[in-house]
Amino acid sequence: MIETRDLRREFGGIKALDGVSLKVAQGERRAIIGPNGAGKTTLFNVLTGELEPTAGEVRLAGENVTGRRPHELARRGVGRMYQRNELFDPLPARENVAIAVAAAAGPYRPFRSPPPSELVAADELLERVGLGARQATPARALSHGERRQLELAVALARRPRVLLLDEPTAGMSPAETARITELIASLDRSLTLVIVEHDMDVVFQLAERITVLHEGRVIAEGTPAQVRGDTLVNEVYLGKVVA
Amino acid sequence: MTPETAVVQALNGISFGALLFILAAGLSLIFGMMDVVNLAHGAFYMLGAYITLTVVQRTGQFWLALLLAPPLIGALGLVMEPLLLRRLRGRHLDQVLLTIGVSLVIADLVGLTWGREIRSVPFPAGLDHAISILGGDYPVYRLFVIAFGVVLAVILAIVHRRTRVGALIRAGVQDAPMLAALGVDIDRLFAVTFAIGAALAGLAGVIAAPVFGIYPGMDVDYLIYSLVVVVVGGLGTLSGAVAGSALIGPIDTFGKVLFPQFALALIFAVMALVLLLRPTGLLGRIRIAR
Amino acid sequence: MTSVLSRARTLQLVGALIAAALLVTFPIWSTPWEGSRYATSILRDMLILAILALSLDLLVGSAGMPSLGHAAYFGAGAYAAAIAGQRFGSDDLLLGLGAAILVSSLLALAIGAVAVRAAGIFFLMLTLAFAQMVFAVAFQAADITGGSNGFSGVRRPMLFGLDFNGPDALFHLVAVVFLLVLLLVWRIRSSTYGRALVGLRENERRMRALGYDTTRLKLSAFVLAGAIAGVGGALQAYSIRFVSTNDVGVARSVEAFVSVLIGGASTLLGPVVGAIVVLFIERVMPSYIAFAETVLGLVFIIFVLAARQGIVGMVRVAYARARA
Repeated sequence: MIETRDLRREFGGIKALDGVSLKVAQGERRAIIGPNGAGKTTLFNVLTGELEPTAGEVRLAGENVTGRRPHELARRGVGRMYQRNELFDPLPARENVAIAVAAAAGPYRPFRSPPPSELVAADELLERVGLGARQATPARALSHGERRQLELAVALARRPRVLLLDEPTAGMSPAETARITELIASLDRSLTLVIVEHDMDVVFQLAERITVLHEGRVIAEGTPAQVRGDTLVNEVYLGKVVA
Repeated sequence: MTPETAVVQALNGISFGALLFILAAGLSLIFGMMDVVNLAHGAFYMLGAYITLTVVQRTGQFWLALLLAPPLIGALGLVMEPLLLRRLRGRHLDQVLLTIGVSLVIADLVGLTWGREIRSVPFPAGLDHAISILGGDYPVYRLFVIAFGVVLAVILAIVHRRTRVGALIRAGVQDAPMLAALGVDIDRLFAVTFAIGAALAGLAGVIAAPVFGIYPGMDVDYLIYSLVVVVVGGLGTLSGAVAGSALIGPIDTFGKVLFPQFALALIFAVMALVLLLRPTGLLGRIRIAR
Repeated sequence: MTSVLSRARTLQLVGALIAAALLVTFPIWSTPWEGSRYATSILRDMLILAILALSLDLLVGSAGMPSLGHAAYFGAGAYAAAIAGQRFGSDDLLLGLGAAILVSSLLALAIGAVAVRAAGIFFLMLTLAFAQMVFAVAFQAADITGGSNGFSGVRRPMLFGLDFNGPDALFHLVAVVFLLVLLLVWRIRSSTYGRALVGLRENERRMRALGYDTTRLKLSAFVLAGAIAGVGGALQAYSIRFVSTNDVGVARSVEAFVSVLIGGASTLLGPVVGAIVVLFIERVMPSYIAFAETVLGLVFIIFVLAARQGIVGMVRVAYARARA
């Protein structure tokens, strides 16, 4: 579904991505793990088109989309739940989602008011992520956990084919983490998920395959069991993480 | 165009560029430090010119104006920053809007105080003659402007690179919050920076008065010039102000002589070109506030 | 069955219609105390500035793009209407308005294509500088625009045989166009497009991630705002029968911006209220005090410091508090 071939990205001498090749099948649940600075965020930024690689290819459902701009990739079905929420702060939760729903519906028409079906869809989605009671609350008035839920709802509302989740549980309490993990696990199997996470419990709960990045390179890839047993991975990353 | 005319126009262009440098340096400094585009900069310039008018009328001493006006206008800036701008710390766009309000007030008060006719001051004694260049007479004052601009650039560069104040300013331009975290009094640094920027604008006004005219609307005209200079040369750096003024001064002057029909639009065309090719300006670092 | 809600709505609608009718017919019912048409001309100019401010608010308020050179399109529209009338020897209102919209839109397209690549303060500087360029061209091209002397002798417009001769008729025209513009802006603001502009203002990155081509969105807003400003310019040309470089100048751009901010950005009536306040200070006050521009500057400073949401914004907050 989504594939990179020998992806490279340099920042003035620093090799953030040093030949990353991976293939995620449709419907797969893939986790990307690695220490800070491994290149995970850079990888995501390239996948969403916000960053251009210095070399290599990105393919989406077979199509070469390298170098395409963010809105083009979004229209081709790449969605993202940002690590630092990208929401419309003063607007109510339901408006946040409605804008995303409208985006999925196609080009906007200058003088038409938003159709009621849009708000219905938005409310349903908010219900689904657990924000049913907070539809009218402005995004900035929501708690951190609620904002993460809203962020997920907004990303989902666009009906992506591939959803990139950038540290979905960052800054969450155990209860919130459990809830959002359950939510992600319940997502439709037609949706391809790529998750960057530091919380290993969440990773092993959700991932079918794991790719381990270190210093811009893939140092291991496989099933959770394989990765957990890999000596290099343990040395570089897992051994340092309090499991 | 004869060789004589070309040389004259070149000197005109360079002297105009020197003036633009003095003006733009202050604007660039304020932006580099505080992320504020001071749209009252033209008004400070105007104030410098009109104060010169009064000082010369009363005392006949141009040099007195040079001594008095910049500190006075600097003091105005020193009051304005804490009184008005500081309340909007962090709200860069609003700070810019505020400077618009200030420029409206200053421009109107200037008009009320000095009237709205076009005024002038004579060249100062000692610089009021012409010297012979390639067979023609060229006003010495204009050469003085060039020299003054160059000397000022050198002084500013030395202060910028070799003194403690300069180091503070360099650090502040780089990372003001870090500087605050290190215990530097940011409030005072910003106020002083703003005052210096304002004083430089006033200084430019004094220097410009004998040769570039004193008239209502000069604040807008020269604000636009300084904006174009810093956009072209690069916002936030001294070298940017030098590069921009060195380019725009001559282009504007030659443009007015060669293509009078399009002269005014020419520098904007240059600006648009630079923006399309190199958005941060030739030598600058623009931090785009969102 | 009439619910309370729809009765409130009906009242609102009736109230709006009455206000609109009163506005359009102002010269007629104000005659007893207004023989010299002074108030009529002031109100007319307020409505024209309101049109300019409404168009600017689409950029500044809705889309969050602070343009300080919006008068360029206003003036371009004024010149276009005047020159078209002269060149084609025609009084046709539709020709004049059409020319105004065409020229101002194309100008906005040309300038916008460069300017929208920037954001925030940088965008502000660019729009200011480009507007000065338009001013410079208008100033230099004296054989077309009249240069510093201006373009005088703009023909009185006609529409389907209806001659807008006389200050009253022109006022009716301006008032009707103003109401149409108000309606248009209202529709835009409540449409999905208008909401996309708000999204653009609040979080451009998220808009891009949702598939919106934000550059195109910004450019479309820029051109739309320019076109509406051009209509305002044409009305100005017809009203005072004169177009000058002042109509494209910085002062006019600042006037519009100040109106938007004082009245309340990103509200429907804010720009209108702001235009009324600004013109009151600029035109009525000078009869009593000499330092009206200073007052305007000070008022603006106070609003930036303490009432950023403008008059309408403050009214809304007060209203919400009263209901809570």
